[in-house]
Amino acid sequence: MIPTEYFLLLSAGIFCIGLFGVLTRRNALVFLMSVELMLNAANLNFIAFSHMHGNLVGQTFSLFAMALAAAEVAVGIGIVLALYRNFKGVDVTIPTSMRW
Amino acid sequence: MAGALDYAAAIPALPLAGFLVALLVGHYAPRVLPRDGAIPGILATAGSLALSVWVFFTVSGGETLNEELYTWVAGEGTFSLHFGLLIDPLSAMMAVLVSLIALLVHVFSLGYMNDENEPGRPRYYAGLGLFTASMLAFALADNLLMSFVFFELVGFCSWWLIGHWYTRPGPASAAKKAFLVTRFGDYFLLLGLVGILGTFGTATFTELPELVTAGLDGGATTYFGLSAQNWFAVLGLLILGGVIGKSAQFPLHTWLPDAMEGPTPVSALIHAATMVAAGVYLVARMYGFYAQLPTVLAIIALVGGFTALFAATMALVKREIKQVLAYSTISQYGYMMLGLGAGGYVAGVFHLLTHAVFKALLFLGAGIVIVAMHHDEDMWNMGGLKDKLPVTYWAFLAGSLALAGIAPFAGFWSKDAVLHEALVYGLGGNTAVLVAAVFGLVAVFFTGFYTIRMVLLTFHGEPRSSEAESAHGVGWNMKLPVAVLGVGAAVVGFVNPGLIHELTGASVTFLDSWLQGPIETTAAHHYHELVAANAAYTATEVSSVLTAGVSLALALAGVLLAWLLYRGPEPAEHTEKLGSVKTLLYNNYYQDEFQDWLATGVALPVSKGASKFDQGIVDGVVDGVSSVTLFSGAQTRRLQTGQVSNYVMLLALGLVVILAVVGFLGGWF
Repeated sequence: MIPTEYFLLLSAGIFCIGLFGVLTRRNALVFLMSVELMLNAANLNFIAFSHMHGNLVGQTFSLFAMALAAAEVAVGIGIVLALYRNFKGVDVTIPTSMRW
Repeated sequence: MAGALDYAAAIPALPLAGFLVALLVGHYAPRVLPRDGAIPGILATAGSLALSVWVFFTVSGGETLNEELYTWVAGEGTFSLHFGLLIDPLSAMMAVLVSLIALLVHVFSLGYMNDENEPGRPRYYAGLGLFTASMLAFALADNLLMSFVFFELVGFCSWWLIGHWYTRPGPASAAKKAFLVTRFGDYFLLLGLVGILGTFGTATFTELPELVTAGLDGGATTYFGLSAQNWFAVLGLLILGGVIGKSAQFPLHTWLPDAMEGPTPVSALIHAATMVAAGVYLVARMYGFYAQLPTVLAIIALVGGFTALFAATMALVKREIKQVLAYSTISQYGYMMLGLGAGGYVAGVFHLLTHAVFKALLFLGAGIVIVAMHHDEDMWNMGGLKDKLPVTYWAFLAGSLALAGIAPFAGFWSKDAVLHEALVYGLGGNTAVLVAAVFGLVAVFFTGFYTIRMVLLTFHGEPRSSEAESAHGVGWNMKLPVAVLGVGAAVVGFVNPGLIHELTGASVTFLDSWLQGPIETTAAHHYHELVAANAAYTATEVSSVLTAGVSLALALAGVLLAWLLYRGPEPAEHTEKLGSVKTLLYNNYYQDEFQDWLATGVALPVSKGASKFDQGIVDGVVDGVSSVTLFSGAQTRRLQTGQVSNYVMLLALGLVVILAVVGFLGGWF
């Protein structure tokens, strides 16, 4: 049986990759993908601990999180589309007018 | 079988229906409105009169009514506000009086408004209807709150009708003035009403006297740390504020002469016989309350006596016939206040009754003269109208002799009763009442003078203008009310001729016995005992013959002087001989100027200062606080860059910092 620490390390790695993408990338689509990576790292944690404790609550929870992620992507894609229409591009650093 | 008292609510309801008919039909279908609303009005007031007379006879059989009709606000464990009817001898008498004069004025208006083709007649008759309804409801009210509501409504109708010719600047501004000045007094009445509800927990007229008696013995709720005696006096004075405004007493009398800008029938109904009487009637209605407050009684007497003299002097020099009548109205209401303040409840009510009859007569007579003179009101343009308007002349003469207080006309008996009461208690040791009585006696002389001057200038001598020469007669609809009231002015004094009673011992003082009343708390003898017991008024024996002789002699002296000065075909103006006094009198002691100065010279600077304080200091503090917030906000918002990546970075850094802190504190490292 694979020790739980391995899963946690993998999850932490994926999370850091996602965080790095979010912090460095300017393309809104890559941005969205990075957010998905971070979310799935969390899912992986759920499943790893679920496996360790031998109950299914964590796995059920990760199913819900996936459904939520699907909805989030739909919204995110919509935002990206609106971004493209208004600024002729998907660079997230350009629209800065939604402040004061 | 249902008696008259079951239908008592219809007395005010009928004119209200007349008001609605005149207003709605006059607006939506003016062509089907008979005589522009006069006929519904006449029918309604005639119905009210018939019902009032029926009620009057029922009451004389010993029945009374004191019931709540409609509870407006039901209080749990505290006072309730309700509308109700109190029908006792006083209110039954007032209802007959008001509906009779309202009926006669409606008939008179047929001639004054319809025959003269005045504009806006449905509006006019609607106003008369609403006024009559409110006045009757006021007279029949069983508590002070209901009285206050209808007190305000009659004031509103007064504004409506004075401003009937609202396109002209004079009536429009006179209407505003009348409303504002009376409203100023009514404000105090409202305060007094709230105070009475708070102190006694009820404003019902029949319950108040006993509560006051109990309160004076101790255990009363008072405010501001005053003793019961002083606090009740404050309440009485607050209510008196409304009375002074409505009954045009000094210093709130200035609206009444201006109110003469309204149509003359309105002056007769509202500004002579009924609405102005509302104030005095309120004192009479609450007499059980006032009778126990000697300070307030003395103030009432002083205000009344002073107003009687003060207004009479101003009437001496006036040129317009309605102005003379206006000032004499103020003066006569002063007499009523004097009578009530001097402890003479019956005398005050008696003068209220006779004055309503003869002053309505004089105003209607003046209306005929004005119509005949093509709306010229200056008495110096009149003269010689005696032959052209004989019916009016004789009726007007009867009314004038009644006003002047010449025996045996109505005013003599009632004015004499007032002065007699004032002297009885004044000489009994009450200085204030004595001073007021002296004022009243002097005013008798002036009253005789200005009344006869008015009659001589209007009806006697040679015509002094082309209008007076071409004066035309008037129709029956104007003569009939004047004739009815003329007979009334001659005989109504015999309802209570105290002098005859004293001379012959015959029981002819009908009004006195009438007001003894079946309800103990509103009976005249009960008031008499209260005045003696709680106000400590002591009476001395003063012969009625003596006071009647003195007042009659004074009145005759005034009449004689006027006769000597203004008789003959071409009377001369003698007012110039008064010199600067004439200017003073002609300008009404500069009362209006004084009040204008109060408004522009005192109130305006004070308001401007208050406005500066408000805008500068109060608003300044508020604006200062908000500007600090605005400034700091403007600086702080620069933290927001609007770039998503920055926010994410801050989030991540924040997470790291939290992890680090939790880690250090939790001992992970």
